[in-house]
Amino acid sequence: MINIALPKGRLGEKVYSLLSQIGYKCDEYSKDSRKLIFSDVNGTVSYFWVKPSDVAVYVKLGAADVGVVGKDILEEYEPDVYELADLKMGKCKMCVAARKSFMDDTSAPLRVATKFVHTAEKHFATVGRDIEIIKLNGSIELAPVLGISDVILDIVETGTTLKENDLKIIGKVSDISARLIANKASYKFKRNEVSAVAEKLKEAVKGYD
Amino acid sequence: MKIDKLEDEIISELSALYRRSGYKKYKPSNFEEYALYQENKDFLISKNVITFSDLSGKLMAIRPDVTLSLVNHIEVKSGETEKFFYNEDVYRPTTGGKNYKEISQTGVEVIGAIDAAAIAELTILICKTLLAVSPSYVLDISHMGFVQGLLNEFKCGKDTVAMLIKTKNLHDFKIFAEEHGVDEKLISAFTVAVSDFGQPTTALEAADNTVLNDEMRKAVAELRELYGVLQKFGYGEKINIEFSAVGNADYYNGVIYNGYIEGVPHCVLTGGRYDKLLHKMNKRGGAIGFALYLGEIERYLKKENDVVDYLILYDKKTQIKALELAGSKQNVGYSVRISANQQVNVAYKTKIDLTVGEVDG
Repeated sequence: MINIALPKGRLGEKVYSLLSQIGYKCDEYSKDSRKLIFSDVNGTVSYFWVKPSDVAVYVKLGAADVGVVGKDILEEYEPDVYELADLKMGKCKMCVAARKSFMDDTSAPLRVATKFVHTAEKHFATVGRDIEIIKLNGSIELAPVLGISDVILDIVETGTTLKENDLKIIGKVSDISARLIANKASYKFKRNEVSAVAEKLKEAVKGYD
Repeated sequence: MKIDKLEDEIISELSALYRRSGYKKYKPSNFEEYALYQENKDFLISKNVITFSDLSGKLMAIRPDVTLSLVNHIEVKSGETEKFFYNEDVYRPTTGGKNYKEISQTGVEVIGAIDAAAIAELTILICKTLLAVSPSYVLDISHMGFVQGLLNEFKCGKDTVAMLIKTKNLHDFKIFAEEHGVDEKLISAFTVAVSDFGQPTTALEAADNTVLNDEMRKAVAELRELYGVLQKFGYGEKINIEFSAVGNADYYNGVIYNGYIEGVPHCVLTGGRYDKLLHKMNKRGGAIGFALYLGEIERYLKKENDVVDYLILYDKKTQIKALELAGSKQNVGYSVRISANQQVNVAYKTKIDLTVGEVDG
């Protein structure tokens, strides 16, 4: 039996449909059900639906052997897990954005509004810019508009939200996509099962570039 | 899956095992100067240390680790070897935890002249240590020489590559390799470092075919020799050659160990060769050791059970009878709890209610 943690929402559903095609179908699963655990009658696979940012926690603590999680979460929390495959789905970019009129004033620390505090610290340390972080949990784009920050560091998918709020991208931090992660101890004791999921998924997403 | 042993049982079994192998018990002080940990903070599992000022105003720490204090206090004469074991509590946050905890830890350190036999003996001791916890274990063995030798071939992005090795991340490495024009030979060696070969001989073969320099070659030869000994003594099946498991390069320089027990979702034992720590502290010789984090697997172990053989309930009239009965049962080896309270919160095998003369159980 392999336990798989999937992120609730569109991405999780897409990954599930892929997994069901490559031999990890769970008849009990229904998109509209409010249930959080689905197990296959043959006892080959169990799915947990969890908040996207919690997938890594479930995997790290071994409740799930493998999980699907965005690279943004992995970079932010750096969980002690193996990252076995890039699923090439849920693609977007971690970017730094600012108001169209923004000019960097290097005489003061740069005020950065973000959900991704650790990622922001790492990024600006590599570019050698002193920063002040404003931790927000949502509507990050509002911060520079209201003047509480100079820039934001956030995920950009289409760029529509930025455009509508008069913001522009001033730098890319990294490319983001969904990744398959595995618990290190599970990898030791369920080696064949974990590798099989990873290899089959890699094969299935080969043409996704 | 629960591990069918009590923590105390494991500790006493391990102490006996280490004593039989001629290891001396080491008892460190609870307190050390904070500077010791501050200078070597990357050696610690957590950088958080509990500090306080002693009576002379010196900044002290409650030990978060045993190895550093042992190395700090032990002087080994040139050519000699000292072997120690300890079981102590250390004070640090648990892995990923947010509060300080008292964590019980058992470990072994060998300091001085280290030869292949000493390494093999210690590795077998690690297998026996894991076996004492559970027969279902896996020992990952790696070598700093292989990974450092590989990293030294990279002109830039060493930290990035090190992180990619640790997480077995081949897909992002391929992008990195393309962006930085990394040589094919390095790509092959990286692939070996993150791949899963199952069989140690296959892993060592693949490693041999991709070595890029003497450091890597020596590392593979040392692992091959060690694996040969482990196989000879019947531990071959429990070993996994796992180059992705490495320690901090400022302290570790040779073999690296990571032990896993089935049912525990994280690594339970770590260790390796740490000559560099000794040299950093201006000491001669070599050092190798390991620690088993018993405190971190507490919840997976059998609990101290409070089930008594007999629960005897009494009232004012029957209290002497209760004492007599309890005494007679205890004399033949049973555990007995007497209680005047009918609702006592005790698990029992047999209840004798003297107030009504009932036996239940």
